[in-house]
Amino acid sequence: MDAWHRTVSVRSVLTLPHPTLLAVATAVGAVDDDARRLAEDLVDTMRASPACVGLAAPQIGVSRRAFVVDVTGHRKAVSCHGTFVLFDPVVEAAEDPVSAREGCMSVPDLTGDVARASKVTVSGLGVDGERRTLVVDAFEARAVLHEMDHLDGLVFLDRVVGTHAVFPRKTYR
Amino acid sequence: MERLWLSALGADRPGIVAAVSGVLVDLGCNLEDSTMTTLQGHFCVLLVVAAPEAVGAGDLEAALGEVARRFELVVVVRPLGPAGPGAAGGSPSGDGDEAWTIAVHGADRPGIVRDVTRALAEAGGNVVDLSTHLVGEPQSPVYVMTLWVTMPPGAVGEAAAARVREAAAALDVHCVVHRDEVDVL
Repeated sequence: MDAWHRTVSVRSVLTLPHPTLLAVATAVGAVDDDARRLAEDLVDTMRASPACVGLAAPQIGVSRRAFVVDVTGHRKAVSCHGTFVLFDPVVEAAEDPVSAREGCMSVPDLTGDVARASKVTVSGLGVDGERRTLVVDAFEARAVLHEMDHLDGLVFLDRVVGTHAVFPRKTYR
Repeated sequence: MERLWLSALGADRPGIVAAVSGVLVDLGCNLEDSTMTTLQGHFCVLLVVAAPEAVGAGDLEAALGEVARRFELVVVVRPLGPAGPGAAGGSPSGDGDEAWTIAVHGADRPGIVRDVTRALAEAGGNVVDLSTHLVGEPQSPVYVMTLWVTMPPGAVGEAAAARVREAAAALDVHCVVHRDEVDVL
């Protein structure tokens, strides 16, 4: 393999009730070759689904604290940092909750209304092993927090309030 | 005004709500609380109706006969009995009770609703609203249940939440129980 060719690795995405989705993921620690391969798998798998704007490692069967987000071109995005992978991410600040409907590749049949902070500061290790701190808002903040939940074994169903906040994903007549 | 409850169920078709509510208007009834939804392609209506003194449950059910035939609905109308004991509005929830949401999901198996709600009831909680969805592949169905409940305040509520979590764990289903945080802005 050279600089012009890279093997694309699209992993299958786990769906409920797979236990890996419900477990608290373990820290990555140092960004080594395994971590970089994980990052590539996350990016490739996310890009294989055009509507997917983020993916967490547990969703592809790896119970480690890592996720990828890319909200490029999304109509709800305000901040946009392109494609970024964070290892061992930590939410440093979160404010201004906003409720919106979201879906998840691991919960393919349902959507839900979830309140999440719309202004978030998140830090973690990038693929180069350097610490990154990102200030994200609007849809990018929602995507980050959604992926962060996966690292703690939570899906959006665990965040809804009330029973009228979960909806079948199929389109009604 | 007399309060009646009305239920209607039939295969989902456009125009059911308009037809049923049209009969209510013609009879001078007022549609108060309602739940209407589709369940696996069937439209389900459950209403509380305030009806003039001259319109009894039998009168309203008879008046809905043509709509029931046209849309192939099962329609039942009955007088609304006295509400349950407790707080204003007839809820068996106590005055100081707090609202919680319970999210349960996992591989479908018999007893999820029974065991979770039994634990809740035994711990002093009360179901206010409950919805379930059976999703996933036919060979590995996933049961998703969301409950909106009231629980006694303070430590009693926390203990009730713990009882519910234990019941879910015994069923090997995932369960998150959280107090509803209401921001009044």
